[in-house]
Amino acid sequence: MTHEVHKVVKESGGLRIVIADSATSVSEDNKNDIVVDGSHCGANIAPDYILPSGARGMIGNDAGIGLENAGVASLKTLEEHGIPAAAVAAMSAEIGVGQSTYDEGVISAANELAKKMGVTVGMSAKEAADKMLEGIS
Amino acid sequence: MSDKISVKEAGGRKIVLADSAAAMDESTKGDVFVDGSHCGINVGEMTLDTGAGAMIGNDAGMGKNDAGIAGLKFLDKHGIPAAAVSAMSAKIGNGRSTYEQGKISVVNEAARKLGVSAGMSAKEAADRLLESLVKSGK
Repeated sequence: MTHEVHKVVKESGGLRIVIADSATSVSEDNKNDIVVDGSHCGANIAPDYILPSGARGMIGNDAGIGLENAGVASLKTLEEHGIPAAAVAAMSAEIGVGQSTYDEGVISAANELAKKMGVTVGMSAKEAADKMLEGIS
Repeated sequence: MSDKISVKEAGGRKIVLADSAAAMDESTKGDVFVDGSHCGINVGEMTLDTGAGAMIGNDAGMGKNDAGIAGLKFLDKHGIPAAAVSAMSAKIGNGRSTYEQGKISVVNEAARKLGVSAGMSAKEAADRLLESLVKSGK
């Protein structure tokens, strides 16, 4: 796990929206958080980082989707564990930079749970994070 | 893949595979680290901080401002050879896929000088990097 100080951008009803450059920096300290990060959403992200942390929602980068849609593979895994999750287009935000995901990101993919909360393709990451915060409160 | 595995050793150095660049640490100092991460700026910093000898990651489709390969240029400034495989050639987040399926799409100058070029398989690139690092003894 990498060490990183997360930026809290919103708090409501005991839940927070936090920004991280890397999903690998997420820990149990994020169990009440919607994590907006600069990582891809590949297959390892859900089981290795997001699920063990207990985070309540996640928005990452689609990494250009790539071979066998590997860049968004974790959205489905998170769906199976009841976690809303979405990805921003790699051309909309700088991968590796969480603040860019949050400030500039445009949603390109979302799991069913996120969609039920009102997250749609084309929405800004900021608005999507707000929808998740409302949806899980 | 949990954490990391070594697939080759020569002259006290290794080629190490991991799904995430976050698995780099003291034990991979001087090694050729092949991972499933993007090559963004934060991954460049992780590579430098942990002292890996060389790094191969995923270009993440390059993306906005070529952020997916920003770490390559950063590492070049520090003389560390690094390269990325095309996101359409290997599964991001999967280090074994980078190594076994990856086709190099971008190399930094330090890697180019060691004979790594675009179109090469990641495996061949890793071999060249290992060989060169062992020879140079740096």
